[in-house]
Amino acid sequence: MDFTFSDDQLAFHDSVKGFLTNEVTPEAIRDLWQRDGGRSDELWGQLAELGLTAMTVPEQYGGLGLDALDFVLLAQECGYAALPEPLVETVMVAVPLLAGLADEHRQLQEHWLSRVASGEARLAVGHPSNPLVADAHIADLLLLCHGDEIHAVPAQQVQLRASESVDPSRRLFAVDWTPSDATRVAGGESGRRLQAEALDHGALACAAQQLGLANRMIDIAVDYSFERKQFGSAVGSFQAVKHLMANVAVKAEFSRAVLYRAAFAAARGQANAAIAASHAKIVATEAALLAARNGIQVHGAMGYTWEVDLHIFMKRAWALDGAWGTRGFHKARVGDFVFADGAPLGAGATFEAR
Amino acid sequence: MKISFSAEDERFRDEVAGWLADNLRGEFESLRFRGGPGDEHSFPEERKTWERRLAEGGWTGVGWPGAVGGRGLSINQQVIFHEEYARAGGPGRMGHIGEGLAGPTLIAFGSEAQKARFLPGILAGTEYWCQGYSEPGAGSDLANVKTRAERVDGRWRINGQKVWTSLAHESDWCFVIARTEPGSVGHRGLSFLLVPMDQPGIQVRPIEQITGTCEFNEVFFDDAVTDADNIVGAPGDGWKIAMALLGFERGVSTLGQQMQFQNELDQVIAIARDNGQAQDPVMRQRIADAWIGLRIMRYNSLRMLSGPQDGSLSKAAMIYKLYWASWHRDLGKLAMDVLGPEAEILEGAPYDLTRLQSLYLFTRSDTIYGGTNEIQRNIIAERALEMPREPRLG
Repeated sequence: MDFTFSDDQLAFHDSVKGFLTNEVTPEAIRDLWQRDGGRSDELWGQLAELGLTAMTVPEQYGGLGLDALDFVLLAQECGYAALPEPLVETVMVAVPLLAGLADEHRQLQEHWLSRVASGEARLAVGHPSNPLVADAHIADLLLLCHGDEIHAVPAQQVQLRASESVDPSRRLFAVDWTPSDATRVAGGESGRRLQAEALDHGALACAAQQLGLANRMIDIAVDYSFERKQFGSAVGSFQAVKHLMANVAVKAEFSRAVLYRAAFAAARGQANAAIAASHAKIVATEAALLAARNGIQVHGAMGYTWEVDLHIFMKRAWALDGAWGTRGFHKARVGDFVFADGAPLGAGATFEAR
Repeated sequence: MKISFSAEDERFRDEVAGWLADNLRGEFESLRFRGGPGDEHSFPEERKTWERRLAEGGWTGVGWPGAVGGRGLSINQQVIFHEEYARAGGPGRMGHIGEGLAGPTLIAFGSEAQKARFLPGILAGTEYWCQGYSEPGAGSDLANVKTRAERVDGRWRINGQKVWTSLAHESDWCFVIARTEPGSVGHRGLSFLLVPMDQPGIQVRPIEQITGTCEFNEVFFDDAVTDADNIVGAPGDGWKIAMALLGFERGVSTLGQQMQFQNELDQVIAIARDNGQAQDPVMRQRIADAWIGLRIMRYNSLRMLSGPQDGSLSKAAMIYKLYWASWHRDLGKLAMDVLGPEAEILEGAPYDLTRLQSLYLFTRSDTIYGGTNEIQRNIIAERALEMPREPRLG
């Protein structure tokens, strides 16, 4: 039983954290908000240079062949930075979906995955759990669900209609396209399985970012509680203010192990990966939402201004709450698991792989 | 990261399960699933006999080092022991204060003579311990201890009062925080004394709880005495040792507690299936929430135990009390809600509570004893988040 990360995993985490701290600042994010499309090719190129877009691409296609467990700490940092670029969804959802297609699609995989790894091409995923497709406008290839089928559709064959998100960093699109035999890459049993896996991976990707967002909002609010003085003292010295943040710290700190356990289950393809992902999405989202609520409370009226950075992170947390299955959906899955006949519940069943 | 047990560990699991199946039967059958939270007053003599059976099997002090007579199990095997013990319905441990608190404190801070004198009795299940910390004026403000001890004729003479002392009436020894430096205030001038309970200077008075039962006590020290040697560390070290002891409470022993919780939750789930509440979507969600919370505790305990290289581990340890206490309180309420109107009806007269009613009432104390939720939040905010400290008086 070992819940720790390897030295390699931790070292890579440190270097990526350093990069994000320097490059993806709140000022840089606000700058992206002003740009057409809201994305930066230069930033994507830097992420690719760091090897990040290649992380989960199989080695045979020029990738690093790593898994969710290797990426989960980095996904957390992407959340902490509120990185607008769709790196987490690419690495944790889109690439595994494309790589999971049957062998007959090797050519397609090779063509696209090698380009994703090098940063030359980008993917987007349209899944029934999300009404719109995020970052479809910068995708070269879209993986779109249709019934229980999956289609790989080049960007030239789709029409996009943009929708504004409450989170100005998000770019969402309705996609008009026509399914055909030429675009279909999975169907039937394998299509359903790949769609289900994509949902679990998406939930895990959200969970990791939510935990990072929660920690960022805690840091921002705690810093502010030192700066702001009332009644002659830093407001953070008042118990009523402390307890707001302590409640967030409890939720955030304790979602950590749940997230890592879910990443482990996903990486090993364990049968309980779906429940573990639901569990992680629920608790990490609750941590982030409470961090948002209490964070704004600690800021007083300043937290309600566009000028203070807090809302960059709050809005991301609110947006991700509804992505890849709402909390209601995931909690119902846990409920079904708990009440299933023969559910492995009792003392001692915690780590059974079933 | 490797979230599973080795083949050797799984063999050990079979050994534990086999021993429990062979021994937790016959005269001990009636103790299964008894003596846990809210039920600690039940069957004290029988549970002490069970402790001695455990000792014979080598199942006391499983996490203590071999050099002091413990079993020296790895963390993983301790986890497995607690899992199997709970799965088999092993009774609440009468010896847990000795094994989990007094013993580790002596192992860390005691003299060789003290270890030789006290550890064997704890391991053998022949000597039981209670904890003399809280006083009427020293609850959350533990450093405000007024009980005093002075050296007279080569012994410590102790006067004062302790309160909320669990199982004092069943204990042979008490570890007492007392003021040994006259006129000192706060955490200075305190000492950690080991005091025999069976003496004319000590009077134990049970406190009747809202359950109608008595697990806590008041303990009055009226010229009570203990040998000069029965001080752990030097005079004045009491606060340091008392704080270290609280750290032991957050170790592997928490896993045993979680297994108890799991049994309680399983019982609630079984009732919900039986009486149809499992079909109610709101109740289903609340039960799912309870399951989620329990898994959170479990993963975090195992993560806390699996290595100190991550700086946030101590943060998790600080958070644990607040988390489990709130979770358990909510479980008590959930149990009552799953029962519906039936929840009100007692087993019989006089004030004979069902197990779940006991659980519900007892869990009202979880968020208070051992540091209230409010104190825990202060600790988390000031130590884990490093928020500005409150101005302290004095």
